[in-house]
Amino acid sequence: MNHLALPTVSYAALAPILFLLLGGVALMVLSALSRRPLAAGTVTGYSVLIGFGALISALAEYGHVNGAGPSSTVASAIAVDGFSAAIAVTVSVVVILASLLSHGYLRRMQIDAPAYHVLALTSASGAIIMAAANDLVVLFLGLEILSIALYVLAALNRRSAKSEEAALKYFILGGFSSAIFLFGIAFTYGATGSTNLQVITRTLGEGVAAKPGLLLAGLGLLLVGFFFKVAAVPFHLWTPDVYEGAPTPVTGFMAAAAKVGGFAALLRVLLTAMPQLSTNWTPVVYSVAVATLIGGAVLMVVQRDAKRMLAYSSINHAGFLLVGIVAATSAGISADLFYLFTYSVTALATFGIVTMLAGPRDDDAGIDRLSGLARRHPAIGAAMAILLLAQAGVPFTTGFIAKFSVIEAVVGHGSIPLAIIAMASAAVAVFAYLRLVATLYRTEDIATVDLGYDDSLTDGPAAFAIGLSVVVTIFFGIFPAALLDFGRTAVAHLLP
Amino acid sequence: MHTFPYLVVLLCIPLFGAGLVGLVGLRAPQAARVLALAATALELVFAVALLVAFKTHVGTFQFESTHTWMAPLGISFSLGVDGISLFLVLLTALIVPIVILGTSVGEKATGYLAWLLLLQGASVASFVSLDLMLFFFAFELTLVPSYFLIVKYGHERRAYAATKFFVMTFLGSAFLLVGILVLAFQHQNQTGVLTFSLAALQHTTLSSGLAVWLSLAFLVAFGVKAPIFPLHTWSPTTYREAPEGGSMVLSAILAKLGTYGILRFNLTLFPHASKTLAPLVLTLAAIGVLYGAITASGQHDMKRLIAYSSLAQVGFIILGTFSFSPQGLTGAVTMMVNHGIITAAFFMLIGWIAQRRGSFDTAVLKGLQGPVPVLAGVFTVTMLASIGLPGLNGFVGEFLVLIGTFTTHRWWAVVATTGVVVAAMYLLWNYQQVFHGKADAETETMHDLTTKERLTIAPLLALIVLLGVYPKFMLDRIEPSVHRELAGITAAAPATAIQTHHVTFTSPVGGAR
Amino acid sequence: MSIPLSWFIILATLLFGIGAFGVLVRRNVLVMFMCVELMLNAANLALVAFARSLNDVGGETTVFFVLVVAAAEVVVGLGIVVAIFRRRHSAVADELSEMGG
Repeated sequence: MNHLALPTVSYAALAPILFLLLGGVALMVLSALSRRPLAAGTVTGYSVLIGFGALISALAEYGHVNGAGPSSTVASAIAVDGFSAAIAVTVSVVVILASLLSHGYLRRMQIDAPAYHVLALTSASGAIIMAAANDLVVLFLGLEILSIALYVLAALNRRSAKSEEAALKYFILGGFSSAIFLFGIAFTYGATGSTNLQVITRTLGEGVAAKPGLLLAGLGLLLVGFFFKVAAVPFHLWTPDVYEGAPTPVTGFMAAAAKVGGFAALLRVLLTAMPQLSTNWTPVVYSVAVATLIGGAVLMVVQRDAKRMLAYSSINHAGFLLVGIVAATSAGISADLFYLFTYSVTALATFGIVTMLAGPRDDDAGIDRLSGLARRHPAIGAAMAILLLAQAGVPFTTGFIAKFSVIEAVVGHGSIPLAIIAMASAAVAVFAYLRLVATLYRTEDIATVDLGYDDSLTDGPAAFAIGLSVVVTIFFGIFPAALLDFGRTAVAHLLP
Repeated sequence: MHTFPYLVVLLCIPLFGAGLVGLVGLRAPQAARVLALAATALELVFAVALLVAFKTHVGTFQFESTHTWMAPLGISFSLGVDGISLFLVLLTALIVPIVILGTSVGEKATGYLAWLLLLQGASVASFVSLDLMLFFFAFELTLVPSYFLIVKYGHERRAYAATKFFVMTFLGSAFLLVGILVLAFQHQNQTGVLTFSLAALQHTTLSSGLAVWLSLAFLVAFGVKAPIFPLHTWSPTTYREAPEGGSMVLSAILAKLGTYGILRFNLTLFPHASKTLAPLVLTLAAIGVLYGAITASGQHDMKRLIAYSSLAQVGFIILGTFSFSPQGLTGAVTMMVNHGIITAAFFMLIGWIAQRRGSFDTAVLKGLQGPVPVLAGVFTVTMLASIGLPGLNGFVGEFLVLIGTFTTHRWWAVVATTGVVVAAMYLLWNYQQVFHGKADAETETMHDLTTKERLTIAPLLALIVLLGVYPKFMLDRIEPSVHRELAGITAAAPATAIQTHHVTFTSPVGGAR
Repeated sequence: MSIPLSWFIILATLLFGIGAFGVLVRRNVLVMFMCVELMLNAANLALVAFARSLNDVGGETTVFFVLVVAAAEVVVGLGIVVAIFRRRHSAVADELSEMGG
């Protein structure tokens, strides 16, 4: 009788994932067992604490990797390196902010608070698993954990028919892209004989991949799957509808967590497992980046709905992140890490403000609702203005540094036309952001209609999270050195 | 030596002032106005103190201060001022308080004041930064307040104008950013150091082809801002639709960012390429002079008229810059300042006229001389200065530019001189239309300049006269820096033409002194 | 005599193609849903076939993971469909037109 060979598991390295996943499961059990519904405040506090736990363990992992160097665990299925730690830090921050931002909303909409938080925590753990995955199967599992929880989250608002519709669209297209991705895994496995990223890259390096056609088909399918997930043009068609229909705090969470997870995995697969194929994937990523940059920016200008506009804005951001991948250097990866962190914070907080303006049913985020906001509520209006300017990439905000470092990386790589296209798309996007900021400061016809949100603007936890995000956005916009170094050190300790 | 950090203070006052005005304005709009005036007055005081402390006959950068900032990206916080930027800083410090005093946008002016201050801070930062990325930050930052000044306080077609302005300028800067990055990476490849410091990048070895491309990238960005023909298409619309204060700031200060950028960065970083491109740029500048002058004469709208005449003036500035002669460059710098003063005065006067008569149209405005003699008088002086009447400030720069260009690029100078003649014609003709003739009933009831308005325009008027009769004051401070700039170009490109003129340069502006 | 690997792969690709085509052209949500499942199972077939030819259990174990994932997707997907059906008594995607796209 053979003994089952159990892999060694470094639980300390898995701590950020375990915190979120087990924290979510524990909350589910607790809420099921408790006789009275758990108080919303308790649940939010719990969720923030779990987020902090994950954050601290992620930072500990980061420190450990800095000393001991990158390694892998669970039979080399999970990478323990600076990159995954940095993404874990980002996701933990997303969890903390998202919990605070959703608190008041869940109460106003009478949504079961534990349900939201369980799903958000689970989904976040999926994002970290994607980033840490050193095996395509684990990557797929992370992707599904992230996505399935998000499908349910998108359907949580029972007051709006749009919410279920968004969930269904997201579900069908999410399932579709997952299947494509899985088929890509199957082909890659067939061509290289393994799903482990190190083994794949070794096989590719030795040039023993006997079936180049199969390999390229696998790569293509993987890329299409990824492009769906990160909403790159022309695989973005689901994004505006889903962003518009999903409950607004969920949209924010989705915009941050799903993008972080998707890009982390894409970076790792392309740059550590398949750098040998870069002559094949660079042209593809390049052209998709161009389409995404231009499509996102141009379509952003014509939107009449704030959530749809921000959806296209996130598509434009995805284009910039793809530019970092085209650079394919450590400068490109660390630029993308910086971009992902700062984008997550600003996007979450922006959606947080839209959440505050949601009104009683959260089914209308027309830009008119923002008209004159800064006149009614100067502080929130100013915060919104700063966040939008940061997304636009105005100097002295993180958005500028993020865009700048991506462009710096790609110019260093020599793709000057792409840099110019990226800047040109930014020009168009900035225009759309500025127009929205101008709407915030409209003086005409304000205070004449009741938009049904005045009381929701006194949402304490959300206001705190938004304030914090604004401070982060400006502070790291003026003094980005520490955060940039954090990203660079993380990339220096990337599992090869 | 430890000197007072003038430049840092000059940056901080408007930037913090903008924030403070924005906050105070929420509760007390009146206090915000006082605060904005106080901040700009303080800025002006420090700018004058800078002028006093500035050492004459020194060509190098003064009050230099460099701090590490965003080290991982190679960006440093590096400031310094020389004779070329000194007067542009002063101009910026002077124009903004006058804009605040002389224009109004109604009750809710908090945003207007805050944006103006932010614009002032960003412009000063652009003029004094010695790090290319810091310059780019500031250069980009000017866009945001400009956009809001136009789109929120402008005239009927403000949204269209603001969009056109914004998109064109931003697209221009896209080329600038990529150009800066390519240059920095070239430098990094050669030295192993990633830096954006002007002093360091100056010594980057570039193949002549690359240098030309980079030079073009910079030229496009600055050419849109300046604006150089044919990148000027935003300017008439924008100057027309912006509020008068916005037009003043845009044409007096922001346009100078473009011409300053060309002088400071194109010439310093790409001396060879600039000479290669000189025939092209000179031709465009000469076309700009003629096109601006001819189109201006066909305008019925006073603001558009000034916009086109500005295009001609900027053409002169570019002409002087690319003449690569000491006189031409000195003339270009002088003209930047003088054009700023004159055009600000023009837009303010036109604003006052429109306030009283409700129109910018020369067909409506007739016979103002009778009802508003003081306003007419001030307008006359401004117009004569713009034409380049000796004794007024407009003459000095134009004359130097023509002399400088004539010595190195004769035919372009000849073409440009035609422009001067046309300019004189259209302005005088326009003046005659608006101020002479018979006033209609409504014009008869117009009231003349109030005491406050007289005091507001007085500094501009005084400078028009003073800088006209005593230009030496400016030239003494500009010339050393221009020589240093040209010496750099000569060292990089030992072309014979420059050296001969370098030697013969004594003082061809004797007549003006 | 065994069936060559390529036959399995061609079959898997065909099934995958049918599934993908179905998702894109069919309008009944349940049918679209089944098409996604078909795509997943096509991938499973490919994985098993590759595992056999490579003599490696990795592919076969992956299939178990995929089955679990597919089951989870079914639960969530049907839940959403039921919720929508309760509201509208229809499961045709074209009738879902609250939003523009």
